[in-house]
Amino acid sequence: MEAAVHTSGLRRTYSRRHRDPVVALDDLTMTIGQNEIHGLLGPNGAGKTTLVQILSTVLLPSAGTARVLGHDVVADTRAVRSLVGLVLGGDRGLYDRLTARRNLRFWGALHKLDTRTARRRADALLERVGLAGRADDRVETFSRGMRQRLHLARGLLHEPRVLFLDEPTSGLDPVAAGAFRRLVLELRAEGRTFLLATHDMDEAAALCDRVTLIDRGRMLLTGDPARVGRFLGDRECVDFTHPDPALTEALALLPDVSDVERRDGTGWRVHTAGRDGTRRVLAWLLERDVLTARRGEPTLEEVYLRTVGDRGMRV
Amino acid sequence: MSTLRVMWHAVLLQLALSRRDPEHTLILLIAPMQTTTMLALTVTAHRPDVVANAVLAPGLIGLWVAALDYAGRIVPEDRWAGRFSPMIATPVPLGPVVAGRVAMVVLVGAAAFAESWLVAALGFGRVLAVADPALFALAVAITCLATVGTATLLSAVLVVSRARDVLQNSLGYPFYILGGILVPVTVLPGWLHPLSRVVFLSWSAELLRGSVRGDARGWPWSVAAILGLGAAAMAAGLWLTRRYVNRARREGTVGFA
Repeated sequence: MEAAVHTSGLRRTYSRRHRDPVVALDDLTMTIGQNEIHGLLGPNGAGKTTLVQILSTVLLPSAGTARVLGHDVVADTRAVRSLVGLVLGGDRGLYDRLTARRNLRFWGALHKLDTRTARRRADALLERVGLAGRADDRVETFSRGMRQRLHLARGLLHEPRVLFLDEPTSGLDPVAAGAFRRLVLELRAEGRTFLLATHDMDEAAALCDRVTLIDRGRMLLTGDPARVGRFLGDRECVDFTHPDPALTEALALLPDVSDVERRDGTGWRVHTAGRDGTRRVLAWLLERDVLTARRGEPTLEEVYLRTVGDRGMRV
Repeated sequence: MSTLRVMWHAVLLQLALSRRDPEHTLILLIAPMQTTTMLALTVTAHRPDVVANAVLAPGLIGLWVAALDYAGRIVPEDRWAGRFSPMIATPVPLGPVVAGRVAMVVLVGAAAFAESWLVAALGFGRVLAVADPALFALAVAITCLATVGTATLLSAVLVVSRARDVLQNSLGYPFYILGGILVPVTVLPGWLHPLSRVVFLSWSAELLRGSVRGDARGWPWSVAAILGLGAAAMAAGLWLTRRYVNRARREGTVGFA
């Protein structure tokens, strides 16, 4: 089956006066299968938005190629635009003084829908994203979550097969973010493909079939979010529960243990150096009747922090 | 979907936006004052022969100001509001959207003609009789069309310009003069005549005055000139808008964020 998205040697630079150009994407090669939810992770300035913009034909690449369902984003722009939907995050991007319905009808016209189809789809989408009751209210009166749902409805108007979501749940409360994610899963069940650029590790872990971590425009890793722990090489961990903190104090003194962290209540995670270290830590815990001990995988967030590094506020 | 259909939807969008935020209708507050000033000058100078000029000029100025003011704002406002990226990602080119939105604003500006006539009639007791109403209506209609074409070109020029505000503010009087709005082109220095002939307003002003007096000889040429210049400006505006969008995609200046 043809890939939903394929990039090869994709590069994008931004020129600056009297200074070296900024490299936003550097030799990026990646593939997203059809009907996949693919997470794009990375810190601010990593190149996530640039990639989304290139794939949605908003930006031109400086070098390399990008294809959506086999269509080149530069040479076959028109075909790509009919196949993809762009969903931006945040408060901006809509006509705030117009109603949700009026907004969707206009964007329907921009997607070459005839008036009747645009009206029918606008009404159906407003119902689907839970905004039917506010369809004739001005967007400026909407909460961030409602705007976000309207962004998604706009992205779906022309029934695209591939959707690019750029930080769609940024700033949403947990309830609104959860509802948004459920909607994404519903849409995936209809056969759509998603590229989800996000900072939210929980969201990526919960939604995505695969994730790609990029930084400074380069791909660092790609894979199943539940198994990305293997990218940390010899960094393994052991999870267990035990009520006595004295045990963990003793555990921390073992040469195979690099770190012990409290997870929740009586739960603990021990970071070990390599497989042999894990084996010795498990044996040490079993000798002390800690029968809940088991080998754990580093979470996506741990992988992110270890791979990208702690750069504080720097971008 | 044809380009005209996209333009029509842009007209409807602008109509909805204007109902919510009718700031560009301010021109309709200014036009009566301009008419008052000009008519007062003609009355005190005992020049009944130029009453038509005094009544028609605010109408043409209203059209021009409405188009110029709004044309320069559409794309920058969409960029600031984060609408430009999703707009570019649609299969429809940006030019017809701009043209449609400007067209709606130009229609509002055209109401300045009626206002000006009413001010003359009610305020000064000078009822401007139109000798050839059909030709006058045709002249107003094609002047509006040409204004839309020219405003589309101006929109693109202003967007690519690094000094948009300065350019926008300085494009009033040169066109009032070259367009023969304030005074007929014939009274301008001879070396300005060729320049004024490529400004559609000069043909429009002549045709409007001629239709009022009933002596618009050679009016088909004027109509052809107005439509031709308007069409050329529209074509250039659509081309320049497409170039601007491609440049923004190439240089990465699509959004401000």
